Amino acid sequence: MEKSLTWKEKIAEKMPAELAREIDIFEQQMELRKQGKIDEKVFAETRLRRGIYGQRYDNGQRHDGNRIQKLKLPADVIKGPDTLWDAPGMMRIKIPFGGLNPEQLEVLAELSEEYADGVSHVTTRQDIQYHFVHIDDTPSLMRRLAAVGITSREACGNVVRNVTACPLAGICRDETFDTTPYAKACSRFLLGHPDTQDFGRKFKIAFSGCQQHPCGLVTMHDMGAIAKTRVVDGKEKRGFALYVGGGLGSVPYKAKLFDEFLPEEELLPISQAISRVFARLGEKRNRARARVKFLIANLGIDEFRKLVLAERQKLANDPRWTAHLPSVNEQTEEPLKAGVSLNGGERPDGFDAWYATNTYKQKQPGYVAATVTLPLGDASADQLRALADIARRFVKDTIRTTVEQNILFRWISEADLPEFYRAIKAIGLGAPDAATIVDVTACPGTDTCKLGIASSRGLARELRYQLGEKSLQLDEAVKNLRIKVSGCFNSCGQHHIADIGFYGINRNVKGFQVPHFQVILGGKFHDNAGEYGVPIGAVPSKRIPEAVLSITEYYVRKRLKDERFQDFVRRIGKKEIKDLLEDLTKIPDHDVDRAYYSDWGDPREFTLADMGIGECAGEVVSQAEFTLAASERELFEAQLLLDAGRPRDAAKTAYASMVRAAQGLVKAQDPGISEDENQILAEFTSRFYETQLFWDKYAGGKFAEYMFKAKEFIGAGKAVDADRAVQLLQEAQLFIDAAHDCHNKLRVGVASAVKLDSIAQTSA
Amino acid sequence: MELQKINVKVFTAEPKVPLTDFIDVFHGWIQATDGVYLDVADYSHMQAGPGIVLVADDANVSIDETDNRRGLLYSQKSKMSGSNLEKLSTVLRSALENCQRLEQEPALRGKLRFLGNQVEILVNDRLVAPNTGEAFEEIRPEIDFLARRLYSTTNFTLLRNQQDTRLRFNVTISTPLSFETKTLLNNLQAI
Repeated sequence: MEKSLTWKEKIAEKMPAELAREIDIFEQQMELRKQGKIDEKVFAETRLRRGIYGQRYDNGQRHDGNRIQKLKLPADVIKGPDTLWDAPGMMRIKIPFGGLNPEQLEVLAELSEEYADGVSHVTTRQDIQYHFVHIDDTPSLMRRLAAVGITSREACGNVVRNVTACPLAGICRDETFDTTPYAKACSRFLLGHPDTQDFGRKFKIAFSGCQQHPCGLVTMHDMGAIAKTRVVDGKEKRGFALYVGGGLGSVPYKAKLFDEFLPEEELLPISQAISRVFARLGEKRNRARARVKFLIANLGIDEFRKLVLAERQKLANDPRWTAHLPSVNEQTEEPLKAGVSLNGGERPDGFDAWYATNTYKQKQPGYVAATVTLPLGDASADQLRALADIARRFVKDTIRTTVEQNILFRWISEADLPEFYRAIKAIGLGAPDAATIVDVTACPGTDTCKLGIASSRGLARELRYQLGEKSLQLDEAVKNLRIKVSGCFNSCGQHHIADIGFYGINRNVKGFQVPHFQVILGGKFHDNAGEYGVPIGAVPSKRIPEAVLSITEYYVRKRLKDERFQDFVRRIGKKEIKDLLEDLTKIPDHDVDRAYYSDWGDPREFTLADMGIGECAGEVVSQAEFTLAASERELFEAQLLLDAGRPRDAAKTAYASMVRAAQGLVKAQDPGISEDENQILAEFTSRFYETQLFWDKYAGGKFAEYMFKAKEFIGAGKAVDADRAVQLLQEAQLFIDAAHDCHNKLRVGVASAVKLDSIAQTSA
Repeated sequence: MELQKINVKVFTAEPKVPLTDFIDVFHGWIQATDGVYLDVADYSHMQAGPGIVLVADDANVSIDETDNRRGLLYSQKSKMSGSNLEKLSTVLRSALENCQRLEQEPALRGKLRFLGNQVEILVNDRLVAPNTGEAFEEIRPEIDFLARRLYSTTNFTLLRNQQDTRLRFNVTISTPLSFETKTLLNNLQAI
């Protein structure tokens, strides 16, 4: 029986060294935050960049329907502004292009049980999220993910988020080519890249294999790439139509064409150049206008393109730009079994309906991809383990999450489909509703999100229930419509691109707050999120199911032959639909029926009192601040080395922490400062020491001299005993404190060379 | 083995109460306490899922439907002190107290009954307690002792689900006799 091992020890050999080191560093940063040695904003952005997000009520209070309760949580440590350390939070896990294998499913299942509430939630960007996670559990959680090749790094925060891609990539009958290798390369290249660390807001990337289908949702992304080919000198060449500056949010922007054919070898360098331009020119102070869409709108696409291309020219060649290209033509996936067609085998009850909605014939003969619909994107641990077993039985490592919050199994031999269906039905996941009006997409909303206004999941659950009961009677034209629900205007539920979209708002009815949803009609999921919907008006939350029925029945009655829903909405116009919904905007008075004054699945009287400050925008933390925080962490590591009886290593690490702090200061003036020690010292000396900006009013240049002397000492290779190491650590702490002081002075603009007479006075 | 994160599930008789009815009950519990409970999570849309979860910092209480068997699951989260037996009996007692509280809820009275003759113990930490025979043998004396006290008899069985080692450590204590939660709580007083 293993008794004393930690997860870190137990799975040390399974973790990639780089990931293991990153997690160790984060664990040290947590410890420093507990000691108050890392600023709360810096730590907030640090944890966000590790995927650790805040959650509703993490400010330590909650409205119980009658009054605001102060939650019984320790309040002495916080993990960000107004965010209690012990309050449960959300953990987002990046799944690049949605790709998963059975082993990963099993680990996700285990972690959801041990660290969350037993549920793995698939997001609208192919991530996995856990809720109700304690931050103290996150290092172990991250290590166990790392052991199966998954990272949560940069899943949140002002960085490049999960790179998404069409889940049918590689098997799609209409794709130009498989974008999977490109999405994977892009994800790896930009993860932690120095040029992506200084954004004012997040940056989302998507890949699509074709123009016409929705799967990639390219045009609603900060950067989107659609596969293209072109014949050059008689040879077919691969490339991408590259789009930039799309985004949903409160005001949706459609991405603009940056290049109609960007050669494949230019994809990564141009991504890097775009990142550099965004980092340099993007808004940093006003977070509401900090996405790249606003920068492009301000500059114009032509000027933005010009700047990016100029930046591209400045980039030194990086072999990673093209390292993936020799293998992009190799098939990345293998089937488990030979492809055999269905050919009249036995069909279980319910199979035909499921087959019609949940399967897709691959371009490879005899193979089918099957969508396992997860209600509201949720899967239990048992379900995930069962899905891992099912994957091993029918396919290999060919599982993908989808932006519609489902899981797609690829490469199923068609003859196996009846057995596959039986297997998923047995675990409650055999509903025949993929890509139908019943398969409602929703963001977390007021269930867990600090920004949520209304219960998007509550509404989605109700619509699933009501529409599911009617699904067999629904007109075919209605059956294939998409409903998407967001809890607020920020559009995490992607309501703008739904046929019928909703986002949560609050309305006052005779002095009472009432949850409402704004109705958005006519968005286009197809054509890579081809059009955004039209706002119609607000309807009380509890009357939304009636509104859906009213709209869909009207559509069936009034549509022209084969008229699509988008065309119908635009033809009849906003006024007619608004009139249609007019009766549904009214609710009984509060004393007649209080049900309308609470939200779906929540008996509390509706209030906005629980809304907090969202963390979607992250904290704008400069690279200088991050580097100063890193110096603190290195000094902490030096102390651990000293405690472990390694004074020489401790001394070297203490010196390194001083150099790191000096680098932080230089970064405030020159963000491009290299990692070269000598260059950092030279720049620090000329910019801060010789100018006396770093000097202390009383101690003069003493603290800087600690670093210079430490360099000499370490360089001389002398023996280091524990006393000398302790002294060096103390000097390093003083140096880092002085660096923080200097940085603060620079920030508020009061830094100036100190007057030497004050030094003389104190010395005297 | 030093046990932590002990979970106890007490099964209900035939589920007569719609799962969503527990949402209102749990919100009522929140109102009746002062900051102990953090939230109610609704997973009623999932088959055989976590059901309705009343989240707290110390321990969650949920109406759990794992394996399509409804029961009250008490999930200890915060670190406990004492011997393994003390921890096991404390968590079991807390679970039964919550069962009793639910049975006494006006909205559920007469509709909800817990089957006292079967209790599942889980350890929600695979590092401390993997689902292995070795772990079972190590923990068995404490669970055996606890079961004797709980049922005041030796007429019980301990069964571990050993078909799937991926599961959390679990032992189900079953007896052919029938018990009410009140009796079980009284029996536990002796520990």
